[in-house]
Amino acid sequence: MDFGLSEEQDLLQQSLRGYLGERVGLAAVRAVVEGESGHSRELIAGLAEQGVTGVMVAPEYGGSGLGLLDAAVVAEELGRAAAPISFHSGAVMAPLAIAALGGDAQKSRWLAAVAAGSSVVSVAFAPGFSAGGVWDDSVAYVPDATSADAFVLFVGTGAGAAAYLIPADEPGVSAAQLQAVDLTRRLGVLRFSSFEAEAAMRLAGGDAAQTASRVLQAGRVALAADALGAAERGLEAAVEYAKTRKQFGRVIASFQAVKHMCAETFAEVEPLRALLWYAAFAWDERYEDAHATAMLLKAYAGEAATQATTTCTQVFGGMGFTWECDMHLWFKRAGYDRQVLGGPTALRAEAAAIRLVAAPHATQRR
Amino acid sequence: MDLSFGPEYEKFRAQVREFLAARKGQAPSSSMSATGSGDDMRRILDWQKTLVEGGYVGRTIPREYGGAGAKPDLLESIIIDEEFHAARVHRGLANQGISMFVPTLLQYGSEQQKQAYVRPTILGEMVWCQGYSEPEAGSDLASLKTTARLDGDDYVINGQKIWTSTAAEADMMFALVRTDPDAAKHQGISYITLSMDTPGLEVRPLKTMIGSSSFNEVFFDDVRVPRNNLIGEPGQGWEVGRATLMHERNMLGNTTQTETMLQNCTDVLAEAGVLGDPTYRDRLMKLDARVKAMKYHSLRLLTDTLKGRHPGAAVMITKLNGCQLNHDISALAIDAMGERGLLTRGSELVRDQGAWQAQYMFTLGLIIGGGTAQIQKNIISERGLGMPREPKPAA
Repeated sequence: MDFGLSEEQDLLQQSLRGYLGERVGLAAVRAVVEGESGHSRELIAGLAEQGVTGVMVAPEYGGSGLGLLDAAVVAEELGRAAAPISFHSGAVMAPLAIAALGGDAQKSRWLAAVAAGSSVVSVAFAPGFSAGGVWDDSVAYVPDATSADAFVLFVGTGAGAAAYLIPADEPGVSAAQLQAVDLTRRLGVLRFSSFEAEAAMRLAGGDAAQTASRVLQAGRVALAADALGAAERGLEAAVEYAKTRKQFGRVIASFQAVKHMCAETFAEVEPLRALLWYAAFAWDERYEDAHATAMLLKAYAGEAATQATTTCTQVFGGMGFTWECDMHLWFKRAGYDRQVLGGPTALRAEAAAIRLVAAPHATQRR
Repeated sequence: MDLSFGPEYEKFRAQVREFLAARKGQAPSSSMSATGSGDDMRRILDWQKTLVEGGYVGRTIPREYGGAGAKPDLLESIIIDEEFHAARVHRGLANQGISMFVPTLLQYGSEQQKQAYVRPTILGEMVWCQGYSEPEAGSDLASLKTTARLDGDDYVINGQKIWTSTAAEADMMFALVRTDPDAAKHQGISYITLSMDTPGLEVRPLKTMIGSSSFNEVFFDDVRVPRNNLIGEPGQGWEVGRATLMHERNMLGNTTQTETMLQNCTDVLAEAGVLGDPTYRDRLMKLDARVKAMKYHSLRLLTDTLKGRHPGAAVMITKLNGCQLNHDISALAIDAMGERGLLTRGSELVRDQGAWQAQYMFTLGLIIGGGTAQIQKNIISERGLGMPREPKPAA
């Protein structure tokens, strides 16, 4: 019995926290945030050198070949730092999809580039698209839509499901940015006009529907980890501020009203860590409850992190409402983590559909 | 990350299963109460003896005091809990004497005290109550005023205790008393044991909001207690008493019980015909996530303990979250039952003998007892997050 991170995972966490603190501080984050693209190739190349983008890529393509639990450790640190990278899509879902379904040429072209940080691949789910045929349609809320080099597109559902890996510079493919609150991870619309995906773009090496579901749960776990990071760093910032800000002749951290806000936030957020570790581990080990756990985790994390950053913003008083105060970075980070790939209520409905069928005791007794 | 126990422990698990298979017929049912009829009581005490002899109660207590003398092994105790839970077999008495007083006594008691108290306590023959809180000393426990004045070889105790669970049935009390009125608040307190038969001691039942009299007031009027009934040194009471409270908070954070409660709550929702209702499903899944989180949180804390690491602030949230979670689960079951959710034990139409209402109120009591939720939040913010204490008001 050893429920926790390994020594290697602890080390990964420490070294990444050190690197992000030194090289991706909040000034660097703000520089990217206030730019138009919201994207810095240089920053991503630096993170790639730290093993961030290749954490789940197999060693033969230059990655570390680690599991989702390791990726969760990384995602939590990126959330703490509010680092401008769509890690859940570019470093978790995209490489998983390509590794599961890609042919040799696709793998060696794209997995190696993802691990090296020289290419960014995004992932979109377009169940309304047909497998094959000509597309004159668009898919919205795609991470890195205007900056990615290629897109993994899951189309159709059930037996009609298929997956494609489409380079961004193909004729008939265009993208536009959407203006959303979290400026550290941009979303956009991906448009196809008279586009016919070639056979070479098909990710044909396995069951697309099953892979889509497994990839989606991994993305959800990574977003939950990011939310945990944003919430804990937000709380740290609020506690530090409360220890220095004086009113009525004493630091506000000595007022019970403020202390209890912080204690409640801690009590709400901290159990997420163990649930995150379990959910990631269950996904790695392909446990039966892995998918429902990922949904319940993300629902809990999204709510807890938005609540935490809301409360922590209040600890800063009027300063908390300013652009200058860093709290809004984590507040918006939590908002993104909550809404993207399924909000809390939708995820719990989805989890209920699995769990309340899988638990026969619930219906057996009269 | 490794969720398996390994072959050595699986061998131990097989032993526990063997014991349960052979002996479970002798176990009392869960509805039997140690304060119930004579027959129930006899059966529980016989089972308690079987468990002590088998090493399933008092497992790590040294043999010379009546235990099994096993070396402390958290994984073994988890396996025992899991197997008893799975087989739905009575886990033995879990009263304040066994869970709180004995561990404290083993740490601070004299040889003579350990010889006298440990064996009968774990066998359930000697029942203890805890004399800590006073009408004027609740959350601010260290302001307690019950005095113990040394007179020859005796302490003479005067004052009053309150919220004393099982005082009416108890043979003995462990109590915090002020032995030095001139010393600083925390330094003048001592930890003492006394017999509930001592002249001058009066127990008056306090009726709880549930309607039962599970706790009491205890009045002391010149109660004479031998001076060697002190546990630890005079003035060491605060330290000794805090050790006991740590054991109490551990006792209040059991996640297997919460899992069972959520399962039962799901059954109630199914029976009430609301398991297909999206709002109920949402509430149920919200609780499901929290129960899972607290389950893995406790595994995380366990791992820290096994590795000799201090879990820090993470350990301070178990009582706060655990009690609230149990309360919220009861609330959902009651809501699903509508008017039926109001019924109490003995009523026509009642479900589960009114257990949901009883749980709902009992868990509210737990949110308050053993350090209120607000005191827990002070502890989390001060000791966990390093925020300063509220300054003392000017005198």
